Amino acid sequence: MQRTHRPTFLNLARIRFPVGAVASIGHRISGIVLVCALPFVFYALERSLRSEAAFGAMIELMRSPAGRAALVLLAWASAHHLFAGIRHLLMDVGVGASLGAARTSAYATLGVAVAVAAATALLA
Amino acid sequence: MKLFSGRRAFVLQRLSALVLLAYFTAGALRLALGPPVTYVQWQTWSAQPLAAAALLVLVAALLGHVWVGIRDVVLDYVHSPGLRLAVLGAAAAGLAFLASWTVLILVAHVNSA
Repeated sequence: MQRTHRPTFLNLARIRFPVGAVASIGHRISGIVLVCALPFVFYALERSLRSEAAFGAMIELMRSPAGRAALVLLAWASAHHLFAGIRHLLMDVGVGASLGAARTSAYATLGVAVAVAAATALLA
Repeated sequence: MKLFSGRRAFVLQRLSALVLLAYFTAGALRLALGPPVTYVQWQTWSAQPLAAAALLVLVAALLGHVWVGIRDVVLDYVHSPGLRLAVLGAAAAGLAFLASWTVLILVAHVNSA
């Protein structure tokens, strides 16, 4: 058999990931997003207790366009991380670990996280 | 850092996850169902020693959970031992800074009340 030397491309855009893999990598990505937000969260805690003016300025900042975009991103990341985490904890104790149930809960995790982000965009 | 690796890290990650789940649920319910929190409410509530202690438990669970998460991600993607040590060291220093900063803020806050 002739060995070919043609290159093999792994085109990530064309590989179809199973939905469980998407939910799982989303858990990791949302965790990294939340870690990046950590300094701002602690800064907000400090400001919120400093004075009424600083508290008000923080609320104003959250209502600015950039602040609202950040809130929507954080709402998605929090919701995805939370629900994907609950899903993993339940699987640790054997709940919903069958393939069918795991696929259903993966779809639910992705959908609910996007719904929470959308609700935040509408209400915040 | 034997204390926060291996099986202990596994247990710490899951226990802190349950603590965070409880706080997150309570906080989300309050924000979603109650009226907006005013500065005076937040200021007087958090100045009570028990409330400040509850906030410290939250921050401890959060930072412990974050440490295990950062560690998992770094061990997966950073392979050079020197760089790995540098990144984990920087993360540990950053988390220790946030922890001590929070203690200072809350202790000063409770004492000022």
